[in-house]
Amino acid sequence: MNETTQVAERNQNAVTKGQEDRSTPSLLPAVDIVEDSNGVTLWADLPGVTRDKLEVNVHDGNLHIEAEAVVPTPQGLRVQHAEIRQPHFARAFSLSADLDASKIEANLQDGVLKLTIPRRDEARPRRIAVNVA
Amino acid sequence: MSDLIFGTDLFSEFDRMQRQMAGLFGGFPSSIRSGRFGAFPPVNIGATDDSIEIVAFAPGLKPDQFEVSIDKGLLTISGEREAWHTDDDPEVRMYAQERFTGSFRRVVELPQSADPDKVQARYANGCLSISVGKREASKPRAITVQ
Repeated sequence: MNETTQVAERNQNAVTKGQEDRSTPSLLPAVDIVEDSNGVTLWADLPGVTRDKLEVNVHDGNLHIEAEAVVPTPQGLRVQHAEIRQPHFARAFSLSADLDASKIEANLQDGVLKLTIPRRDEARPRRIAVNVA
Repeated sequence: MSDLIFGTDLFSEFDRMQRQMAGLFGGFPSSIRSGRFGAFPPVNIGATDDSIEIVAFAPGLKPDQFEVSIDKGLLTISGEREAWHTDDDPEVRMYAQERFTGSFRRVVELPQSADPDKVQARYANGCLSISVGKREASKPRAITVQ
């Protein structure tokens, strides 16, 4: 098995190019987004992505997810049918001020990224008692 | 909270993908068993001189949740992907549910040269890689000219 050849063609340096270069074709990973009283949880499908090929960063209140899939394939492979053609994933979200970007937890398992974005303490819902006058 | 999903250019991305797919496969008849475009999991297929390589991009599963079988030249990958969260809780609000849930089945028609006794399957980082060996007789060989 050879780690360098892939089923889909790979764009070198795709991750390092950063957000300025939008010419790199990339796939939008499918996401689930759920909010509860603690904050927002996001799941993203990133098949073939390992931890070192994943970049999650928050910049100017925007959350950027960029990743590259690496699928080990044998040498001399000729691709006959490809439904995933660019192994580069990118997606961005803007975060509102009530979310605490400094406390985001990221967890990648079996190609699924789980991001836990907690709400700021002061933004957590409170029950306000109404007094009868 | 709606700004969490603002800025996602979903429709233009979808258009672009569809145009790209039409450009790539337009005109070529696809297999009667291939299913609609966008079926889960996406599959890439390639071949080397010795084997046929199939990769299914199916993240968030465990190896024992797949059922892979070969019958009469048809490779079938099936299984079920369960939702990670429940929406019973009234406190929980769901903003996006794009990830596939439910049972899936993909069928790949193997060429005559495939040897169903030489199959290896491996699941890593959300990709199921299946390698089907080719019969000795079908491997390419150089023919000596007398």
